[in-house]
Amino acid sequence: MKRKFVAAAGVAMVATLALAACSASPATESAEAGGPVTLSVSGWSIATTPEFQLLADGFEEKYPDVTVELKEYDPVNYNTLLTADLAAGSGPDIITQKEVKFVSTFQEGGQLVDVSDVELPEGIGGTEAYEIDGASYAVPYRQDSWVVYYNKALFDEAGVEYPDGTWTWDDYADLESELSTALAAKPAFGGYQHSWQSTVQGFANAQTPKADILSGDFGHLEAYYKRVLGMQDDGGQVDFNTRNANQLTYQGEFGKQKAAMLPMGSWYVATLIAQQASGEADDFDWGVAPAPQYDAKTTGIDNVPVTFGDPTGLGINAAIGDDKLQAAKDFLAYAASEEAAQALAAIGITPALLNDDVVETYFSVEGSPSDELSKFAISTHETLPENPTSTKTAAIQGILGDLHTAVMSGSEPIDSAIKGAEDRVKNEVGLD
Amino acid sequence: MATTTATDIAGTDVAVGPSPSLRRRRSRLARRNALIGWSFILPNFLGFALLTLVPIVVLFYMSMTNWNVFGTANWVGLANFQRLVGDGSFRIALFNTLYYSVLHIPLTFVVALGLALLLNSKLRGVAFFRTAAFFPYITSIVAIAIVWNLLFSPDYGPINEILRAFGFANPPGWLTSSDWAMPAVVIVSTWRDMGYYMILFLAGLQTVPRELHEAARMDGANAIQRFFNVTMPSLRPTTFFVTVMLTINSFKIFDLILVMTEGGPGQSTLVLSQFIYTKGFEESQFGYASAASVALFFLCITVTVAQFLANKRRSA
Repeated sequence: MKRKFVAAAGVAMVATLALAACSASPATESAEAGGPVTLSVSGWSIATTPEFQLLADGFEEKYPDVTVELKEYDPVNYNTLLTADLAAGSGPDIITQKEVKFVSTFQEGGQLVDVSDVELPEGIGGTEAYEIDGASYAVPYRQDSWVVYYNKALFDEAGVEYPDGTWTWDDYADLESELSTALAAKPAFGGYQHSWQSTVQGFANAQTPKADILSGDFGHLEAYYKRVLGMQDDGGQVDFNTRNANQLTYQGEFGKQKAAMLPMGSWYVATLIAQQASGEADDFDWGVAPAPQYDAKTTGIDNVPVTFGDPTGLGINAAIGDDKLQAAKDFLAYAASEEAAQALAAIGITPALLNDDVVETYFSVEGSPSDELSKFAISTHETLPENPTSTKTAAIQGILGDLHTAVMSGSEPIDSAIKGAEDRVKNEVGLD
Repeated sequence: MATTTATDIAGTDVAVGPSPSLRRRRSRLARRNALIGWSFILPNFLGFALLTLVPIVVLFYMSMTNWNVFGTANWVGLANFQRLVGDGSFRIALFNTLYYSVLHIPLTFVVALGLALLLNSKLRGVAFFRTAAFFPYITSIVAIAIVWNLLFSPDYGPINEILRAFGFANPPGWLTSSDWAMPAVVIVSTWRDMGYYMILFLAGLQTVPRELHEAARMDGANAIQRFFNVTMPSLRPTTFFVTVMLTINSFKIFDLILVMTEGGPGQSTLVLSQFIYTKGFEESQFGYASAASVALFFLCITVTVAQFLANKRRSA
């Protein structure tokens, strides 16, 4: 009798637990036509990436009826986590496009609203990255490009003249070697190259005429890799294997004056200023120079240097309620506007709209370099995309990433690695 | 009253087994016992069914579709499997997985058994050594990867310094060389797993009957003979369990390789699990990744069934 009761209680408890385990259905936002609206925007590292809060606050000031909530995601797994949320139907209203190579996946999956009708200011850069089949699926608010940071104090110590922007990559390699020899006692290297595949391939793809990774031809990478391996052998920079074994960071190497030059994206300006202010990085004079060029045709301040970089943009979740759609489009228009660009420039972010006024604001931030070359490097460049917008980009970049580690670690010679990568693209991705 | 009667050839009544009423009562009792039993395992089984069984069934279905996680899953039949057969990276991943397993399984088995035999004594301080051997298993895998990366550094790491001191002029490049990356990973993996399997062997060693050892010693058997003729046969259930778990875990290895080398340099340490992860989560080809998962599933189950059959034959 007692056992029967216990058994019955057990079954009842199991049933209750099983029902309770089913998650409560996500709270559906009540549709209030014309009333106050809440928009959720996805972001990452909110504490150390102030741009999201800045855009949210600025928009709320302009449109008091709308509340903007930030939804934070882990930066390393941002796209995977976002995908999971979108597939479950609990994604944010406004989807920040952290990487261009996922835009095609989202668009193909019907997750993005066509935003071709959002008005964008004249001269805004980076819009092509979000154009698929003639329609726009996101709006850029930030456009980064790669430049070279140089430590003026170390240059003085080595007795070498500052770069003047007329350099090609061969010049850069020679300069790096010269600096390393002069600074050997410090000890410091002439330059530091981070381990990402973009540090070599980004430049090779953008600067070599007619190079296109979507074509599956990678012969143009050979010259760049040969040169980089030469720079390593010369002792101009820390070699790839040591960098990986010791987990070096580019912020640490340049900020602590262990390298005199650093090719890196323009986002590092804000970080370096903040780290110098907080004491994390040493206090030294530094400047920004345009990236070294493929050949003399695009060098110097009378020409437009070619570099690479991807925009960061905002898209709208296709599952958004009709009542919120207009507010979401307004947010996109605001983020791309000159007003937002000025606000972003004031905290050291390179906005997609880089006209003269915005550049002035950018360089009025305390701690930023004040010389003419730096202003030129940040404002004048032909920035080609690091990741072309296509559904094949993720797979091709993966294959090229394997090529990068194989060649840079010295386990495979560049020519066989290129051949291997080309075969893999034909076999695994297809070139239709 | 308990027995039924029946008429035999001679025509006399004979008792022939439990009466129908007793049979009914027994089956009711059996059913009630079964129900009670089920109610106790139901929570666990529900969890297993919802979180493991159902996803596996869905996996088989997904492997025959092409699904990019957002759109509808379109049926493509066996096209994913055909693509797998022709995929060079899949073949590399399969080869690397088998290469890793062939190195890892015997090495870990021998090291764990050796440690268990060594530490199967009641000396003071043996608990410290047992804990020390088990510690790597519970250490954070990212910490392990960072520290071993430093140890394996070809130019500045202590391992190569020691090798150079012993006269090896050109020590291996370890994680930076496509030839030595997998052996380096196997070393770290063995170091991590040996403690866990050592514990299993220690437990098994406690069941070896002392009298057999005594008898063998009196018959003049030395330590090695005693090991192979008394210890090993008695350990067979444990050995079987350890081998099966080692095999399955070796085929499924993922986290250690991902944090140590990310499949590199190049693709020299790319294993099946990472191939599945890349295809699914980085390239959004969930149907194709599911097909690769099904391949891994069949690899594991074929080898495990073979091991079970071999064990059954040996114990018969």
